[in-house]
Amino acid sequence: MGAVLTELWKKRPNASEHLRTQLGRLEMKTPLSVASGTFDLENLEFFDSACLGAFVCKTITREPKLGNPQPRLYESEAGLINSIGLQNPGLDAFIAEKLPIYRERLHLPLIVSFSGSSIDEFEEMLERLEQCPGINGYEINISCPNVENEGIAFGVSPDIVHSLVLRLSKLTKRELCVKLSPNVTDIAAIAQAAEAGGASSLALINSVWGMAIDHATGKSRIRKGIAGYTGIGIKPIALALTYKTARSVDIPILAMGGIYTWRDALEFIWAGASAISIGTANFVNPLAAPELIMGLGEYLLEHDLKLKDIIGKVSF
Amino acid sequence: MNNPQYRQRAIQYREELSDDYFILWIWDEALGAAGRPGQFYEIRALASLKNASNVNKIPKLFKPISIYDNQGGRIGFMIKKVGEGTIALSKLRAGDMLELIGPAGNGFPIYRGKRILLISGGIGYPPMWYLQKELINHNQLYWMHGGAKQGDIFPCDEIWTDDGSIGRKGRVCDGMAANISKNEIDIVYSCGPLPMLAEASRITNELEIEHYCSLESYMACGIGVCHGCAVPIGSKEAWDYKRVCKEGPVFKAEEVRWELF
Repeated sequence: MGAVLTELWKKRPNASEHLRTQLGRLEMKTPLSVASGTFDLENLEFFDSACLGAFVCKTITREPKLGNPQPRLYESEAGLINSIGLQNPGLDAFIAEKLPIYRERLHLPLIVSFSGSSIDEFEEMLERLEQCPGINGYEINISCPNVENEGIAFGVSPDIVHSLVLRLSKLTKRELCVKLSPNVTDIAAIAQAAEAGGASSLALINSVWGMAIDHATGKSRIRKGIAGYTGIGIKPIALALTYKTARSVDIPILAMGGIYTWRDALEFIWAGASAISIGTANFVNPLAAPELIMGLGEYLLEHDLKLKDIIGKVSF
Repeated sequence: MNNPQYRQRAIQYREELSDDYFILWIWDEALGAAGRPGQFYEIRALASLKNASNVNKIPKLFKPISIYDNQGGRIGFMIKKVGEGTIALSKLRAGDMLELIGPAGNGFPIYRGKRILLISGGIGYPPMWYLQKELINHNQLYWMHGGAKQGDIFPCDEIWTDDGSIGRKGRVCDGMAANISKNEIDIVYSCGPLPMLAEASRITNELEIEHYCSLESYMACGIGVCHGCAVPIGSKEAWDYKRVCKEGPVFKAEEVRWELF
């Protein structure tokens, strides 16, 4: 399916010029990335990675994480409900086993997504990753339970987000993208705190709280009850939060949440996103990424628009 | 072909079985050559995101369907109508297009010169059909199959039904221990609903018989990425969540932590 993309480039040699974008310190050849935990090297059997501008790996934690018991998934009326529980092999195994494979096989900017249970742990993880070559940036996942704040998620307190990002931004010159949760009262306040702390971009939104129950038996479809809701159903929410956040900060936004097609992508770019990620769409359509870039490229060329020129230019 | 591939293939032929069961046949020599018994495909009626502006047209997830038969490029999927995805598949006819991701998963280990018991329940039947074709020339086989009613029964050596409408009345595992001793079984292969597999596993553990079971799980990707299908595998003291789509779907029954489901 690399052919599709080569075709676009062949037909439109200047497509790259129209699609190019910038996420903080990261130059992206296309505005398309992949949401953490929904895409890995296996997907690159289906198409050529040239349609992606960056790759975000599944979130890692310092210690290995088992993840949650079954059932972990349920496909809802519109989108997917998941409760994976950040299952991952931990930082040591990631550095020793996964990173060398990415370096060898991934010909894309690599953004490492990671999460800690305290500011110290985040800092320690970043210091370790800073010593590894072949990483272009970080996605700081702050939607995890926080032991320093009596179990409330990191991502809901502007003060904690500010202290955390301030500590991390001093340690790296790589792209520092803070991933925000939609499950907050005021996302703009959190976004501003991350920006003041030195984040060079923001990723939003993480999954929305969701639940599903078998009406006949009364049994929860997910073992843990409340889970993460992603996919087409959260698109209007993600779009509104992208718009709101873009209006309140100057750093670029990597937007995600129900983006399936090039039409969806354009909506988010008009709303203020500099780049976009697809997540659940990768499950629904294995060729979602090349189809999206093909459609977006053709739209921009047809209207003689450069992506950079329409970011945030929504009209009323 | 180490990793699952994505294909769009026309249905060559559709075969009707009982009310809820049918078989879809496709043709693909490369995929056929890559497939092994116990492996599966993620399949779906061809859908497109091109019309996704209409929410009714947004495709649903693929469904994991095990390989029922695979010979010379002719690949069969025996399917039971159980939910939305399989009902959509049931409406397909010859000439309609399928989307496939596969072959996926590890498959059954293949032995020679053994006395083997196959035990299946309901829609656990299809992977056993492919498996017995690979085993039959080099092993002594005995196949027990059980279902709720006559409509859930397909060719095998010994039939069990919950309602007694055909074969023996009861659960297929009821006759398992007797068969293992009578036929001096070395190895058991199983596929079926979770409670049946757990019971079969309890029996083989007790008798210390080697046992490989194929598990089913809800999946989003089918290629090892989402971790949605992971199940507890290992010893009582040291277990881990392993992906049914990648490390499975076939596991050693003694390593499945049934008590943690």
